[in-house]
Amino acid sequence: MRQLSKSKELWIFIILIVLSALISARSSVFLRPDNLIDLLKNNAVLGIMALGMTLIIITGGIDVSVGAVVAVLTVIIGKFMVTLGGNLFLVFLVAVGSGVLLGLFNGALIAFANIPPIVVTLGSMSIINGLMLYYTNGAWISNIPSWFIDFGQITLFKFTDTAGNTVGVPIQIFIFLAMVLLTWALLKYTLVGRAVYAIGGNLVSARRVGINIARTLIFVYAYMGFLAGVAAVTHTSIMRQVDPNAFLGFELQVIAAVVLGGASLTGGTGSIIGTVFGVLFMAVLNNGLILTHIPTFWQKIIVGLIIILAVSFDVLQRKRMEKSLPKIDVEN
Amino acid sequence: MSEKPFLQLKNISKTFPGVKALDKVQLEILPGEVHALVGENGAGKSTLIKILSGVEKPDPGAEILIDGHPVNIRQPLDANQQGIAVIYQDFSLFPNLTVAENISFGKEISQGRRLVNWNENRETATKTLEELGIELDLHLPLERLPVAKQQLVAIARALAFKARLIIMDEPTSSLSRGEVENLFNIIRSLTQKGIAILFVSHRLQELFTIADRFTVLRDGKYIGTYRKEELNEERLISLMVGRKIDFVRQSRSSRGPVLLEVKSITKKGHFKDISFTLHRGEILGLTGLVGAGRTEVAQALFGLTVPEEGEIILEGVKVNIRSPEEAMGLGIAYIPEGRQREGLVLRQPVAQNISVTMLRKLRSKLGLLDAESERRLVEEYMEALDIRPRLPQMLAMQLSGGNQQKVVLAKWLATRPKILIIDEPTNGIDVGAKAEIHKLLRRLAEEGMGIIMISSELPEILAVSDRILVMRRGRLVGEFTSEEATQEKIMNRAFMGAPAGLRPKRGLQGDRG
Amino acid sequence: MSRTSKERVLLYVFVGLFALMSLISPNKFLSPGNLQSMATQLPELGLISLGMMVVILTGGIDLSITYTAALSGIVGALVLSAGYTGGAGEAAAGLLIMKALLAILVTAGLCGSLNGFLVSYVGVSPILVTLGTMTLFEGISLWLTKGGAVSGFPEEFQWIGNGYVGFVPVPILIFAVFAVITAILLERTPWGRSVYMFGCNPVATYFSGINTKKTVMWVYLYAALLAAAAAIIMISRYNSAKVDYGSSYLLQSVAIVVLGGTDIAGGYGKVVGTVIAVGIIQVLSSGLNLIGINRFIVDVTMGALLIGVLLLNYFIGKGSLGKGVKKDAQKANTAL
Repeated sequence: MRQLSKSKELWIFIILIVLSALISARSSVFLRPDNLIDLLKNNAVLGIMALGMTLIIITGGIDVSVGAVVAVLTVIIGKFMVTLGGNLFLVFLVAVGSGVLLGLFNGALIAFANIPPIVVTLGSMSIINGLMLYYTNGAWISNIPSWFIDFGQITLFKFTDTAGNTVGVPIQIFIFLAMVLLTWALLKYTLVGRAVYAIGGNLVSARRVGINIARTLIFVYAYMGFLAGVAAVTHTSIMRQVDPNAFLGFELQVIAAVVLGGASLTGGTGSIIGTVFGVLFMAVLNNGLILTHIPTFWQKIIVGLIIILAVSFDVLQRKRMEKSLPKIDVEN
Repeated sequence: MSEKPFLQLKNISKTFPGVKALDKVQLEILPGEVHALVGENGAGKSTLIKILSGVEKPDPGAEILIDGHPVNIRQPLDANQQGIAVIYQDFSLFPNLTVAENISFGKEISQGRRLVNWNENRETATKTLEELGIELDLHLPLERLPVAKQQLVAIARALAFKARLIIMDEPTSSLSRGEVENLFNIIRSLTQKGIAILFVSHRLQELFTIADRFTVLRDGKYIGTYRKEELNEERLISLMVGRKIDFVRQSRSSRGPVLLEVKSITKKGHFKDISFTLHRGEILGLTGLVGAGRTEVAQALFGLTVPEEGEIILEGVKVNIRSPEEAMGLGIAYIPEGRQREGLVLRQPVAQNISVTMLRKLRSKLGLLDAESERRLVEEYMEALDIRPRLPQMLAMQLSGGNQQKVVLAKWLATRPKILIIDEPTNGIDVGAKAEIHKLLRRLAEEGMGIIMISSELPEILAVSDRILVMRRGRLVGEFTSEEATQEKIMNRAFMGAPAGLRPKRGLQGDRG
Repeated sequence: MSRTSKERVLLYVFVGLFALMSLISPNKFLSPGNLQSMATQLPELGLISLGMMVVILTGGIDLSITYTAALSGIVGALVLSAGYTGGAGEAAAGLLIMKALLAILVTAGLCGSLNGFLVSYVGVSPILVTLGTMTLFEGISLWLTKGGAVSGFPEEFQWIGNGYVGFVPVPILIFAVFAVITAILLERTPWGRSVYMFGCNPVATYFSGINTKKTVMWVYLYAALLAAAAAIIMISRYNSAKVDYGSSYLLQSVAIVVLGGTDIAGGYGKVVGTVIAVGIIQVLSSGLNLIGINRFIVDVTMGALLIGVLLLNYFIGKGSLGKGVKKDAQKANTAL
């Protein structure tokens, strides 16, 4: 279904452009550099998580524990910084390391014990969330050290916009871009990345051609954990404090962004560029609604409707294609 | 063609529980030859291919020699490394990946790479496609290609593996004439490079065009290997047929009035211009090779597909059948070939499987299932069909094949159908149970039911049917009464179609009486 | 395959847990107040879990179920608060409540029909459909409430969520009635039989002359009806309606259904298993709370139980005959 998804990516891109045009016609603020930069910064975490979810969904799996994982990682690094101090490198290491461990746990259960991904990740979500809330009691961690807050305020490429304000591109956007590039390269230039597509495309053929399916699946869930670690650092650097409840229901937003970007939950399709469009769509829609003073619940209604229409259209198209396929070479 | 064989198989046997699929089979393939493997449905061709490709292991005592050296083929990767590539009927490609990637993927994996070199990838693909003398857009996702081109990609992949023997399983079954011609040209160019082809096909004319030698299997046994010059189509067919008749020929019942009339129904890509009649009390055998369109016709009568043209007339009334529910309402029952997948709900008890067609009639006044009536119904049919063990709460998957088939029969007999369509009724069932099911079918016919029995087993067709229809490539190509039919006659039609002079313009006139 | 024992094991766990809690803190746990509060809290999650179970029996999932409840509750609340002028006569209040209940049922019915139509007639995978409708229903709920709470109901209405019949809280009675109805529907009607058959093997069920599309359509409708019942209790208990009431029940209900012995791939599961599983979770959370252990440990236990039970199933099932067959059925599942 690659070609279908190609056209799906094109569609979401067109919708994104039309939406942006509509919003900029109603609000002069929308296209201002500082607004666009804010928009990207505020959705960097969603974007980073969606990249990992894309890989998982391409294999035909799903991970509903990502909200809990990223939440617990923010708590871990928050406590780490507050109690032990450390430095930026260590903070990244702790976040990413713990994330990968949690991902390995999910991946191993899915690959070896053959439990459906939704059940495994549902279970780990409950465990992680429960332990975290038990430990923190929902209390915020605020006194984040200043060196970390300074890190979060780094901006690059400072310039002066038409209104005379000095604007810079915040570090979080660069982190997001770096992860986009990394994940894209991973999918495109490594054999593991191609195996991800192969498994989702045709599991039997993948086995016949000699792909190690268990190892690939475990890698994919561990990579999700890695990205959750990066996302946790990014999130904390933006918020400058840790709210254990900040990511309740976040997993469904991540999944929605990926699905909007053209990935199919049956596996085999999806792309990084599509997911980036999906994330941008959610971001622009939300931002545009705020700027044009339209209540933000319209975001939900529009996203919901688009998902329903897109997947129904997809299914109907595939059905038509299958129907036209001859079963027997009938002699004329 | 050199004289030293590339591959030799000796003493290959394969026993499945209760069945000897292969019995001391041998095969020898020379470099650069096209070797045809032929036999009826169920002769053991697929099992042999599975052994060659490492999917199945042969019984102890088997010998596989490559270039004269004994080798072990334990898994598909081993076969690849020995230079054996299989092009499965489904090609085993990745629909979502590009042409170039499909061609070079396997090679990269067997080399144990970690990174993808897209340039090399493209080069491999370009080179192999050039070798094959074909042009394809390397960047196109595979699923966008027509089937014939996908097949070429599969061949290219085999080449990229440096295969020395390419096994092609029914490679022409979904190709048009022109595409077949094209494929043959490619095969010829491959053989000139010394690559051997093992060609499995039902299409004898094509085999005589392309193959150098023929190995014939019958009933899992090796019949012989022949050079093309030693054979013609008639002789080849006579080598393939002639299976032992292990069925008692049933006494015929008298047939009643016309029950069903099918008038030139057509569905694109399924079947064309099919006409026949079915009488009360008659068992109509429908045969032909696998993939001839028999099941598709049956499914049209059961509402699983809807024909685009033609009429179905049931007891003088034209009917439209759009779903199994409607078919059931009209008194049509269908017992599919895939007993475990389509016939039974294996994880549910026998009782539930029997009563599933009768749920509405088992309701009490409150709309609830009447447990007592259900129990009686289930008991009645378990008794009548002698389903053993007589434990209604046993799961369907715990029964033997024969008893499973009886459960499927029971659930449909409970609806008291006028027409029973049964697809490969005794597939995978032991001999005793086979005879039992044949007797049962005859008894049902005597009670006035019209039965259409689809079967690939000629002895079964000959032993049970009153009248026999033969299909080939989506069309009806022959009709015989049970007296005039022989295995040779049927196979001639099934393989070669109706003789040119006899081919009717608007289908066969089904009813001669 | 020891099928009946699955529920029995659960029952032992429930009884054991109940006894344990009673032993640890007899005065508090067995006090009428605690028992009544447990009986008031359990039904909402219980009803949603039953709805989720019916959907999972067909091999599907309903991510929109909690927002179906939220949305229908909000519509009902709007009807109630719009018509309530305070201090009207009892008859007028009764009529108003009837209208509100009808509005809740109709709204839930529409939500369920949309899911059912898209899953059965269009053929979209349940998880995708309900991911979309979940977002949609949440959006509509937000639209209707502007994010706030809808309140101001007749006093009579509060009886549903807070009242007693004798010493038994009304919500638990409602739950009991629906549990019995669900059990009867699933085990004693043609529809219920088709649900199980479909969950095991949709192809063979369709080939048996069952109208499987209709069957699935009704599954999503019935799940929505149960969500509506939960909504009624919920808005009455809180005396208001709000978008996020019950949203935490979504993944909890899936966990409870699986814990209750229902096969996530469909085809097997019993009402009694789900009911006991809800009971276990309730005893656990109330009990731990009384002992002074944080309620979040309940989530941990639930997650650990969920994975533990499935791991156990896997190791028991490994090597036994059922496995290959189940894969077959799953293949059949994806084939449709």
